[in-house]
Amino acid sequence: MHPDQPVLTAAQRLGLTAASFVLMATAIMALGPLIASSAWWWLCAFVSAGVLFAGAGLRALRVRGALVPLLEAVVLLMLLTLLFGGSTSLLFLVPTPETFGLFGELFSGAQRTIAQQSVPAVTVPALSFALALGVGVLSILLDILVQVARRPAFAAVPVIVPLLIPGFIVETGVGLPVLVLVAASYLLLLRVDVRVNRSARFELDRDDGIATVTAPRRVPVASTLGASLGVAGVGIVVASMLAASTPSISSSLLLGTGSQSTLFARGVSPFIDLGKDLRRPEPRPAFRYLARDGDRPNFTLLTLDRFEGDVWSVADRPVDGDNTVDAMGAPVGLEAEVETSEHPIEVLVNEVRTTWLPVPYPSTRIDGLQGSWFWDDESLTVRSADTNTAGQRYEVTRLEVEPTVEQLRGAGSSAGIDGRYLELPEEIPEIIPATAASLASGSGSAYDTAVAIQAFLRSPEFAYSTEAPVEGGYDGGGFEVIGSFLEQKQGYCVHFASTMAVLAREAGIPSRISIGYTSGSPTTERVDGVQRVEVDSHDLHAWPELYFEGVGWVPFEPTPGRGSVPAYSRPGAGQSPTSVLPTGPASTTAPSGRPDLDPDRGFAGPASDPFTNSGSWRVVALLLGVAALLSIPALTRVLQRAMRHRRIRRGDRSADAAWQEFVATAADLGIGIASGTPRAIASSVAGRPAFRDPDTSAAMLRLRDAVERARFGPDDVVEPPPQARHALADDLRAVRRAMLHDAGARDRLAAALLPRSLVERVVRVPGVRAGGGA
Amino acid sequence: MPRPRTHPTWPRLTRRGIALMVVGVLMAGVSLWFDLRDILVLAFVGVAMPVVAAVFVALRRPRLAVQREFAPAVVPAGESTRVSLVVQNRGTRTLDGAHWRDRAPEGALAPPETLLPALGPYEAVLPSGDDRVRVEYRLRMPRRGVFPVGPLRIGVQDPFALAGVERDAGAAHEVLVTPRVTPLSEALATAASIDGVVHGLQRRNHPNSDELIAREYRYGDPLRRVNWPATARRGELMVREEEQRGDPEARVLLDVPTGARSGLAVHHERSPEVDERFELAVEVAASVGVHLLEHGFRLRCTSITDHERGLGPSAPFDGSYRMPGGEHLLLEDLARVDAAAHRGRADDGRAASEVRTRGRDAREPGFAVLADPSQADAGALVALRPSFEPAIAFVTATVSSVVRQMLEDADWNVVTVRRTSDLDGAWTAIASTAVRDAS
Repeated sequence: MHPDQPVLTAAQRLGLTAASFVLMATAIMALGPLIASSAWWWLCAFVSAGVLFAGAGLRALRVRGALVPLLEAVVLLMLLTLLFGGSTSLLFLVPTPETFGLFGELFSGAQRTIAQQSVPAVTVPALSFALALGVGVLSILLDILVQVARRPAFAAVPVIVPLLIPGFIVETGVGLPVLVLVAASYLLLLRVDVRVNRSARFELDRDDGIATVTAPRRVPVASTLGASLGVAGVGIVVASMLAASTPSISSSLLLGTGSQSTLFARGVSPFIDLGKDLRRPEPRPAFRYLARDGDRPNFTLLTLDRFEGDVWSVADRPVDGDNTVDAMGAPVGLEAEVETSEHPIEVLVNEVRTTWLPVPYPSTRIDGLQGSWFWDDESLTVRSADTNTAGQRYEVTRLEVEPTVEQLRGAGSSAGIDGRYLELPEEIPEIIPATAASLASGSGSAYDTAVAIQAFLRSPEFAYSTEAPVEGGYDGGGFEVIGSFLEQKQGYCVHFASTMAVLAREAGIPSRISIGYTSGSPTTERVDGVQRVEVDSHDLHAWPELYFEGVGWVPFEPTPGRGSVPAYSRPGAGQSPTSVLPTGPASTTAPSGRPDLDPDRGFAGPASDPFTNSGSWRVVALLLGVAALLSIPALTRVLQRAMRHRRIRRGDRSADAAWQEFVATAADLGIGIASGTPRAIASSVAGRPAFRDPDTSAAMLRLRDAVERARFGPDDVVEPPPQARHALADDLRAVRRAMLHDAGARDRLAAALLPRSLVERVVRVPGVRAGGGA
Repeated sequence: MPRPRTHPTWPRLTRRGIALMVVGVLMAGVSLWFDLRDILVLAFVGVAMPVVAAVFVALRRPRLAVQREFAPAVVPAGESTRVSLVVQNRGTRTLDGAHWRDRAPEGALAPPETLLPALGPYEAVLPSGDDRVRVEYRLRMPRRGVFPVGPLRIGVQDPFALAGVERDAGAAHEVLVTPRVTPLSEALATAASIDGVVHGLQRRNHPNSDELIAREYRYGDPLRRVNWPATARRGELMVREEEQRGDPEARVLLDVPTGARSGLAVHHERSPEVDERFELAVEVAASVGVHLLEHGFRLRCTSITDHERGLGPSAPFDGSYRMPGGEHLLLEDLARVDAAAHRGRADDGRAASEVRTRGRDAREPGFAVLADPSQADAGALVALRPSFEPAIAFVTATVSSVVRQMLEDADWNVVTVRRTSDLDGAWTAIASTAVRDAS
């Protein structure tokens, strides 16, 4: 143990910085599975390098050690301004208040994009910003641990952060090669630190002149490389073998119920949420649109195409960064014979706030959106990576598909479609195949079967009710629910849509369910001669879509009294144009038949931030966090005091420890002077009222004498015997009690919560120290 | 003197190794709790690396040759000696990441743990010196005694400083620390009071003074040595004193405390105070002895309990020293006197030695130095009293009043010495009283 820490040279610090940078750069690689492409890595590496090497440069300029992290934070801010500030900054580097506004937007965008995107995520600017900021902050933390605290072993703490994230999001987690690389670069940092420390301490030993060491002139350095590589290699191999042979203890075993599924929800069925929302009173406006020629399409938000367990759910597909909305893909299965026409629709979303954009299916392009929006390959639904629909104003070009009945009836086997649209669970209630068989038996083609199913569900036997399923205990879209629904014959759009979709699959027709809005209610207001249509939460709806080869996905409307039945799907359509069943006009029927929706909560389900639902819990957690943060200084001080008392008990330079504690207590309370000889400090505090009591004063003087004897006495002075040390501790306690008693309540509080002695300790930290242990 | 304990050479984790292990265990906990299999690899790296490092340092034992030299090899207490070490790597691999610490005796300040520069592999042919390092430091020896310095502790750490092991290299070497000698004024040596012996000494210095050749006849002197002219002049029987010419003798009796004493509880455990008094006694004995030797005396220095034999196994058999070179031998033997080790000798010493007066011998100056004598010791001194003239007992503060009384009753001149600086004054005072008594 050396009393004074060796000072590192600029080259040594540069070596440590380089090793830190390598470690950080490899650690960020762990995020690879989560984020598409690799440009983000270069960005993160650039930010990390900027921060770390700026720190090295500052230290080379002999900036005070405690200041360097602060200046590094400034450098990080400048880098972020350079990369993201754009035109709001001065000289590309100096942020302005506008820049901070921009950062705030980017940051909230990043929160949204983390909540909304599934992996691999597209690097929208907000995500890049969050990555750069996070990596920058971690780099500063790493720098503090490595260079200021000189505890490189704890560099593992900031580095583990990017490594933990993938495990929570993707099943496989971080790949083994990356982990091995991270471990290797961590060991590299340790090795560099050992070498740097050794050479620095060697200089120190040479300077202090206690012993003269005549070193050999030259020593092959490379020969120690083998040992380093050997130890590191064996360690990593042993670790890999241990990890491979450790049995997996599932979290459910430990926690009873899996906490993952509640905290990190993936693919939750939106049906239950929809049902809850349908039973809410008070319609709220969702959006309005202008469409020429009386065009009244349904607006799809998202498409449910598979069973997750027992319920319908949306396939969890990652956003494809190439699928930008200015050129959307062609609808699946649509062939040139089918008549199509394009209709522009201008949409203004006012209140609804979801990550899914209401667009008619199919659409060809969308213009005027804010933020990053991408379309899904098959369903052509549009979702955002970093923003939501609130306040969006966009023009969508809808492709109207007008198949004839002959085309539908003539559709061949649906071989061109993914098999999952036909998947059904193994065990389903008996009533479903029975119903499907009876409906399919009377008709020839798939189209006829579909029309028969729709007619069956629209028959007077079935009644629309949002309350009955809840009372009957069969809310939702699962199979048990469908079975119950077929018996009770009461339900709402969810039940009708899922029943039709299941019956269609049972009959061999690929099907899926779309959730969105019906066409809404026209208002009297006109803009440029076009009637404006208002869509509110009453228009929230679910409907089935069936696939016909050559035509693609065709919507049906099995819910009685809701939406409009497409012309092609009416029984007898195409045979006798005059025989038409009564059409359910758009948004008709009594208000009681329309579900009441709260659009705010409507479809946030699939990828919502779980914390938004529990605001109060978050506040409590925030408060707890703030309290924990605020109590760090106090805890540090308490710990320090305990350590010093332990030193007194164990006789490890006990007099010094007692005196340090006394001086620190005095400094906390703002009494006396913080530094100087024991005699000076003692005389500076002796005048305080606390020391009028002769006992206290004597105790303080005993402390002073003890430390003087220890510091200035002969070198080989032995530690006092245990009784004396005990007395020392008692003296210390007595003096501390007296000083606390003497101080005002405010001073006492300040001493407990924000001990000044800690600050002075930090400020006194010299530039860079070579650590001893970790 | 406590033997250096043999430290176990088990590898120990450094603080960094412990920190890494704690981090690893925490990470393993986190990864099992949240079922993050991927992190488990890193967690086990944290757990396994310190263990692998410990195994590494345990298996890889360096082969070192250590030479140690002291300059000077015999040091007076309180002075320092320069310790030179040459550490040579005898292994075929480079030794790096090592630090050294010399094991110094209790009370001496060895340099703190210092880095050992990297040593190249052993050069059996064409030695260029890259396989050896030379280390020098000063070691201050505060106390008298024979102290082993070393063996060298070589601590080796693994390349990542996660674990380390300390091993002994080479052997311990003894450094001899002699007691401090306080110069004494010449008062006693020139005092005429000291019987015959000193006269002889002085006659050697002044060979022409005829008067001082003869002395009074004492019982046992052979008749052929009667100096008739002097007898005629003085009117009483005088004898020549040829044999003792140039060969005056003095006795120093040192009280070496032994543990095997009954009756006094304080002796069962040696208190630091008694040790300190004993050190003072040794210093007094050394100062007196060197003073006497320098002034031409032949000196016999023995312990009280065993007053026929020398102080230690290395001392001359009957404990006699003479110039030239005698003072070095005396100091070295006094350096080796060890109160604790003496205990073993005490029993047979006591059994063998009865208190005999050497009535036949001429009376010689006797100096007893007492630190903590038992009554038996005092009795021995009382019995020896007749053969000494003058008989002076230097006693330290720990000597009990009973002993003191016994000695005074037997006409010992008891002088209290509390610290070394008192010695010169006490010596001068003795000389003047002796002169006064004689006059």
